Amino acid sequence: MPRVETTLVHAHGIAALVTLLLSISFGIIAAFQLLYPDLGAGVSWLSWGRVRYSHTQGIMLGWLGNAFLAFLYHAVPILSGRPVTSVALGRWLFALWNFAVMLPGWVLVLSGVSQPLEWAEFPLVVDGFVVIALVMAAVQFLPPFFTRGLEYLYVSSWYIIGALVFTLLSYPMGNIAPEFVAGAAGAAFSGLWIHDAVGLFVTPLALAILYYVIPAVTRRPIYSHFLSMLGFWLLFFLYPLNGTHHYVFSVIPMSAQLTAITASALLGVTVVIVVANLVLSMRGAGFLPRDPGLRFVAASTWFYLIVSIQGSMQAQMAVNQTVHFTDWVVGHSHLAMLGFASFAAAGGLVHAWQRIPWARYNARAIDVGYWLVVAGLVLMVVDLTAAGLMQGRLWASGAPWSESVQASRPYWIVRAHGAALLLGAGFISFFVGLTTGARGGGLAAIEHGAGVEAAGHVASRLAPVLERVS
Amino acid sequence: MSASPGKAVRYAYLVACVAGVLFFVMSVGLLGVWPKQVIDAQTAAMSPAHPLGLSASALRGRAIYGREGCGYCHTQQIRYLHTDMSRFGAPTLAWETRFDYPHQWGTRRIGPDLSRVAGTRSADLHFAHLFAPRSVVAHSVMPAYRGLFDGAADRPRQGARDLLAYLETLGRAREIAGPEGEAHARAGCNCPDDEMLQMAFEGAVNAHSARTRREGDVPALPPSTDLERGRRLFGDHCVTCHGETGEGDGPGAAALRPKPGTLVEHAYTDARLAEVLWHGVAGTAMPAWRDHPPADLAAIAVAVKALRADRPEPALPAELQELGARVYAANCVQCHGEQGDGRGTAAAQLTMAPSSFRDQRPSLDHALRVLRNGVDGTPMAPWTGRLGAPEIMAVAHHVRSFYEGGTR
Ligand code: HEC
Ligand code: HEC
Ligand code: HEC
Repeated sequence: MPRVETTLVHAHGIAALVTLLLSISFGIIAAFQLLYPDLGAGVSWLSWGRVRYSHTQGIMLGWLGNAFLAFLYHAVPILSGRPVTSVALGRWLFALWNFAVMLPGWVLVLSGVSQPLEWAEFPLVVDGFVVIALVMAAVQFLPPFFTRGLEYLYVSSWYIIGALVFTLLSYPMGNIAPEFVAGAAGAAFSGLWIHDAVGLFVTPLALAILYYVIPAVTRRPIYSHFLSMLGFWLLFFLYPLNGTHHYVFSVIPMSAQLTAITASALLGVTVVIVVANLVLSMRGAGFLPRDPGLRFVAASTWFYLIVSIQGSMQAQMAVNQTVHFTDWVVGHSHLAMLGFASFAAAGGLVHAWQRIPWARYNARAIDVGYWLVVAGLVLMVVDLTAAGLMQGRLWASGAPWSESVQASRPYWIVRAHGAALLLGAGFISFFVGLTTGARGGGLAAIEHGAGVEAAGHVASRLAPVLERVS
Repeated sequence: MSASPGKAVRYAYLVACVAGVLFFVMSVGLLGVWPKQVIDAQTAAMSPAHPLGLSASALRGRAIYGREGCGYCHTQQIRYLHTDMSRFGAPTLAWETRFDYPHQWGTRRIGPDLSRVAGTRSADLHFAHLFAPRSVVAHSVMPAYRGLFDGAADRPRQGARDLLAYLETLGRAREIAGPEGEAHARAGCNCPDDEMLQMAFEGAVNAHSARTRREGDVPALPPSTDLERGRRLFGDHCVTCHGETGEGDGPGAAALRPKPGTLVEHAYTDARLAEVLWHGVAGTAMPAWRDHPPADLAAIAVAVKALRADRPEPALPAELQELGARVYAANCVQCHGEQGDGRGTAAAQLTMAPSSFRDQRPSLDHALRVLRNGVDGTPMAPWTGRLGAPEIMAVAHHVRSFYEGGTR
């Protein structure tokens, strides 16, 4: 019976929540600065650009990174039937990720040491620690999948393995190559990384969570193992080929652009297959499952469908031409990183949290948080999509630039005063949900319904629902 | 298989690892390394032999541009699309980016593209804008970079000067390569059938609508009486510098050399206003407004004319008439021209065009002030050291006599 290192799940969970609140604070400040641009003027570390860098790096590495690690500590032993490599390694990984990556990363960016590359703003020194941490994560989580006597082949494991391998390769490529490859060619590498960050780090881990939590909660096998494998291999093949769609109509060779555009279209089709499989696996749980983890996961699944179809659409030249460079894309990335990835991460975190016998748990606050975040996200995406269409239309009309800036204001008011504050309140409530309430409240809530034991004592809880190989 | 399920599973997972590496390598090869080779070849074939590099100051400026995230509101990539080209100029060629470590292409435009911003605005305007964007562009959402200054827009620190040096490199290499450079690039491209790349050689290299010009055709503005709209647009775009009443005392004015024109003190012909709005005033912070529809420019012109304080001006005493002409001929013609049209023999060498008194008439007070104090930041020097009071009075009257525009 492998042990689940609940202390490490908990530690990364808390780190995820704290970095989440910090990261969204940066986002909220940036949103308000577009309405009150002199907010923080004269305070160099509050300059819009630096705050903007801190927001996205914090969300990707701080919040999602920690939440994914928490989930891995919970799921890998259960999926593989083996404990993770080493608890001591885990402590080091935790320390490195939070105190050699996040903390110095933010401090350096805010004090003006950074690199102006999207999704890669932490400076090179910090990137070095990220790579070390990724190697440590690979050492921590991969060996359990390669020990003798595994009985179950499951798609979540594939996604986890894929994410660890891909990220280890693509992170250095995206963060380092453009510093040494000039201009247009460097941009080609950046484009790859912008998509790899989402497609090869965030997406596989988020999908691992969706594929894990659904059967774990419904206690039924997923609808089709075949479709899950098909989806995995198609996504794995297609995601890395998407990057150049960030620079359509640029001087990067047209055949590379067309490859990426085609891959983007095929990706949309693949995601329909994946989501269909996920939704069918949830059948019976209702559109709004009662289990809180599953409820986040269900929302994540739907957002994944929408954002992917939107993505393959906006990669097409006719659409890209108008919406590229506008707020439409900002809406899209929130749908991806918040709607799909953060809902998955939150679902995975809640699921793991409930299974730590001594973790605090406040069901009401989690509930309130869920609704506030859903409301904030929907408002934000609708608002920014409309703003993007307006901006694209004005730019194409040849109107003076200033008109598009002035016309954006109402949309930015809705984003900042409406969406951003709802999201802020929602995530605070989520934070409260996992840090207050009775110890072991989460476990009690499950036992109340089904009969599931704490993670620390369970090995093959998923056994009945996984694909038995023999 | 049933004998050893563990092995099969391990193989399956191993396949995922190997495939992960393979897919990654394939994607980097196809969309990274191969494009790099094409781009490198294009650069080698199309770049001028000695492209403009970046000075030490510009390199420091680029670091500031990077750390402040300017590139998250401004792109440096003009797409091969007519909508981009008509706004910013020729689409970005690979060789133009050859010194960009790292590239600054960007994916969001809250402000306009900056790839051809070099030479589009004066240094004083850049500084005023970086120090306090809303002091010159009322509705701007750009952050104020006060830390780059020593408390005022006209006291830039090293950082601001470096940033300016960097901004002045953007698009410059291609512009100074000139028509020969374009021809060389086109020949090197050797791509007559590549419709996309051919777009790089269409139209103006720099199409920035605010860039000032000294010469060139000006479209006649349609007749307008829309004072209401004119005032609103003047409020949106002009008061920051020229002030509510056109006294030249808006919030942005303090840092500008020369100061914004005192519109209240001048009579302008329609042609002059059309010219100023279409071309801006080269050598000063006055931008061009070519991106505004002509009907709006006409309405603005109506609003500018309405600002003038209509007060009776003293007539030139007869005994000074001849003195004025003499002083003018002796001291002023080389710049302002014999006919007062600003086309004197020295005019072309000056950093800015001398006023043409035929289409712009200063009030007597203003002319006297200019003659006594000069115009700071322009070649127009004070004359008190060289001319006596009666001569100054006479020539101030004289320059007003060239005006061809009637009273309004
Ligand atoms: C929050 C977004 C934002 C950031 C960050 C930003 N700008 Fe801007 N910038 C704008 C907007 C909006 C405009 C158009 C309105 C104006 O002229 O102020 C603009 C205009 C400009 C212009 C005039 C461009 C033209 O074609 O007329 C320059 C030059 C400029 N910015 C430079 C910079 C530099 C340098 C930085 C970084 C130090 C920077 N900007 C950071 C939003 C931004
Ligand atoms: C960034 C500041 C700025 C803005 C904005 C600006 N101007 Fe100017 N303007 C100037 C400066 C500086 C001059 C040059 C004065 C000189 O020639 O000495 C000038 C000159 C002029 C002149 C010619 C004045 C003369 O006596 O030579 C006119 C007319 C004028 N501006 C009108 C406008 C109008 C109309 C707008 C709005 C659409 C506008 N300006 C916006 C700064 C500005
Ligand atoms: C070296 C060239 C030069 C000489 C010589 C020169 N000027 Fe000027 N003058 C200028 C320039 C350039 C301006 C435009 C300044 C501006 O637009 O702000 C100007 C502006 C003026 C103006 C202000 C016009 C207005 O509409 O605001 C007056 C008046 C004037 N000059 C009178 C004279 C007189 C009279 C003389 C001879 C005594 C003279 N200038 C000699 C270059 C010269």
